[in-house]
Amino acid sequence: MNLSLPRAGRASDRPASPFPPLGMRRPMWLALIALVAAAFVASLALGAVRIPLDEVLRALAGGQASKDTWQTIVLTFRLPKAITALLAGAALGVAGLQMQTLFRNPLADPFVLGISSGASLGVALMVLGGAAVSASVFGRTALLGEFGLVTAAALGAAAIFVVVLTIARRVQSVVTLLVLGLMIGYLTGAVVSLLIYFSIPEQVAAYINWTFGSFGGVTWQQMRVFAPALLIGLAAALAGVKPLNALLLGENYARSMGVNVRAARWWVTASASLLAGAVTAFCGPIAFLGVAVPHLCRALFATNDHRVLMPAVILLGGALALVFDLIAQMPGARFTLPINVVTAALGAPIVLWVILRRQSFARV
Amino acid sequence: MSKVIAISRRTLVLSFTVIALAACALPAAAPAAPTTAPVEPTAAPTAAPTEPTAAPTATPAPVVVAPTANLTDGCVENYDAAVDYFPEKVSIEDATGFVVEYFNNYKVVTVLNPWRGAQEQFKYVIVQCGTPAPTGIENALVIEAPAKDVIAMSTTQLPHLEKLDLLDRLLGLDSFLYVNNSKVRTLIQAGALVEIGGGAEVNIEKTIEAQPDLVMTYGVGDPQYDAHPKLLEAKIPTVINAEYMEGTPLGRSEWIKFTALFFNKEGKAQEEYAAMKQRYLAVAEKVKNASNKPTVVSGMASKDKWRVPGGGSYAARLILDAGGAYLWAEDTSAGSMQLAFEEVYDKAINADVWLLTAFQRYDSIKAILEDEPRYAGLAAVKSGNVWNYDKRVNENGGNDYWETGVGNPDILLADLAKIFHPELMADHELVFWRQIPAQP
Repeated sequence: MNLSLPRAGRASDRPASPFPPLGMRRPMWLALIALVAAAFVASLALGAVRIPLDEVLRALAGGQASKDTWQTIVLTFRLPKAITALLAGAALGVAGLQMQTLFRNPLADPFVLGISSGASLGVALMVLGGAAVSASVFGRTALLGEFGLVTAAALGAAAIFVVVLTIARRVQSVVTLLVLGLMIGYLTGAVVSLLIYFSIPEQVAAYINWTFGSFGGVTWQQMRVFAPALLIGLAAALAGVKPLNALLLGENYARSMGVNVRAARWWVTASASLLAGAVTAFCGPIAFLGVAVPHLCRALFATNDHRVLMPAVILLGGALALVFDLIAQMPGARFTLPINVVTAALGAPIVLWVILRRQSFARV
Repeated sequence: MSKVIAISRRTLVLSFTVIALAACALPAAAPAAPTTAPVEPTAAPTAAPTEPTAAPTATPAPVVVAPTANLTDGCVENYDAAVDYFPEKVSIEDATGFVVEYFNNYKVVTVLNPWRGAQEQFKYVIVQCGTPAPTGIENALVIEAPAKDVIAMSTTQLPHLEKLDLLDRLLGLDSFLYVNNSKVRTLIQAGALVEIGGGAEVNIEKTIEAQPDLVMTYGVGDPQYDAHPKLLEAKIPTVINAEYMEGTPLGRSEWIKFTALFFNKEGKAQEEYAAMKQRYLAVAEKVKNASNKPTVVSGMASKDKWRVPGGGSYAARLILDAGGAYLWAEDTSAGSMQLAFEEVYDKAINADVWLLTAFQRYDSIKAILEDEPRYAGLAAVKSGNVWNYDKRVNENGGNDYWETGVGNPDILLADLAKIFHPELMADHELVFWRQIPAQP
């Protein structure tokens, strides 16, 4: 495939250790960590309601802000949202990186396996598919509510997840997986269109609203599921860094290094699907971060080594999600934008710039 | 609804020039000769065009007695250009979206704001059946009145048809699913109506087969969603009803007069609207000087966004007229505003009444809080003053608030007044709104 990632080329004459030892990129790491911290604090301090920073800090420290609503806003609106954005951004970046390496395709994103389509289908069935089905499954109260949406998206994502994993264990070629994801996307797209066609505007609006994506819907109660799911997924991804590096150099090479390719592929698929599925279930289909962040990190650190890229993607993904969400809020403005508008509008130029710049470097 | 008549009517429309020539042979009302530049008819509605002093030709004109009422059925048999065929006229008080000009044997109605940000207007020349159509009116669709049947593409048109005693002329609907009107439901069950589909998915073949005299639809300005471009292309007489663009409850319901124009039912429309308006104003008057005006928040959050009606919107106007203090009353926007949940939370924390306007039918406040625990801090939640407009929703989710309610804003107002000032509205029973109980 022409679009395959640049291999760690120069390393090929030293097959024993294709990647140079981890360099000292301390300033870069410090800058990234500072960016994450700054974005996190900013997302707690800034919002539609103007709250002085010292009041924000007092509320966070367990004290009492001078207005009750401020206390509530900081602790139950902004804090869970900031944590959600941080985790979701990290998860999407990691899943994107895994998929790009697995499929040796720089256009791959966390949703290439059809996980997000599965979640969309779950939500569409729930929201659009008539009260009868949903009511019998979820009880009378959860029809269109936030909790119902999360449940439906999670079930949809999980169903596709199981299908993908089952097939991933059997197939020889990653291309089959890619085609599978694509076909799942078409199938669910057809069903969703059909449901929209037979639905009334309120239902369609609720579904469209979900597709816009948001970090702000995760309440503390939901966080008890969301955070552990993502932390497990991230840990699994970090544990799979070495086989990922081996896969980068081709499956034959990986085999020669003693990597069980099929097991590695399954491990990567499982963790990426968990990450993408959980984020989609709770935040909706968040576009672009998954494609963009790995490219940005490769450019920033000038490497394909997953031992570097994985933590870098976690930090930069979290930071960018926080920043994009802040921009979507447009502190001080009356209106808010859907997060997906911002991620795509700002993400696309950034990635273009990075790729073009890398191209010109490559020529030199 | 004989097919022969319908076809001859369409033939009339199509053979426009022939009729035009005939019309121009007559001296009085016809604006201009077909060869000259088109002339806008500008005469004031009541000022009748110049009286013809003599019979147009040598043929002895039959003695025509000027009608005292509009012809709501059938056609004129002995046309006389001097006769005002529309002695009953509409006068518009509250609606801003359409204007009508009357001429002796036709009326010109212009839909000014067919949709948000529209660049075009729609002009309809409604010609008394049996009389010649005028010439020279540009970009206008010529339609004969009274229409013998109609396909309604929105349930909001049904209450108007019912009030005008026109449900027997209902030929079809866009969809059967969302109808609440009991008479229309009976018609559906009896198999008396056709279902032609809505928006761009409208079934043209079915519509052509039904041969409607009139299709009344609405537009959003996007060919991807609108039915009228396809219907007009198929030469089906289709008119845009843009009631939803009106910013006031009275204005929106005054479109009953727009519907009436196509059936020559002006008299009935004037009567119905005046009575309804009187009831509306009576409720408004009752609560106007209430000592306490409860503060009101409306809408629901979706994740971290909360869409609230703008201060200049339909919903805000109803709250104001019902003696409520809407929290965003100073705002002037006519649509709705997408705000951050935290902003609404901060402002609405002490609001007395919460009007949900939720599609979902919550059985209790407990269920609402299970969905979104952050509502718990709102004063209205603590006091149980939480309401939704889902008292009358049919089995498919069609809400009668948007059907009967929009056509009867006096009931909408009385409902809200009852919620805000129960002591002043003791004899009113809530029709559309329902208080959400604390527990299921």
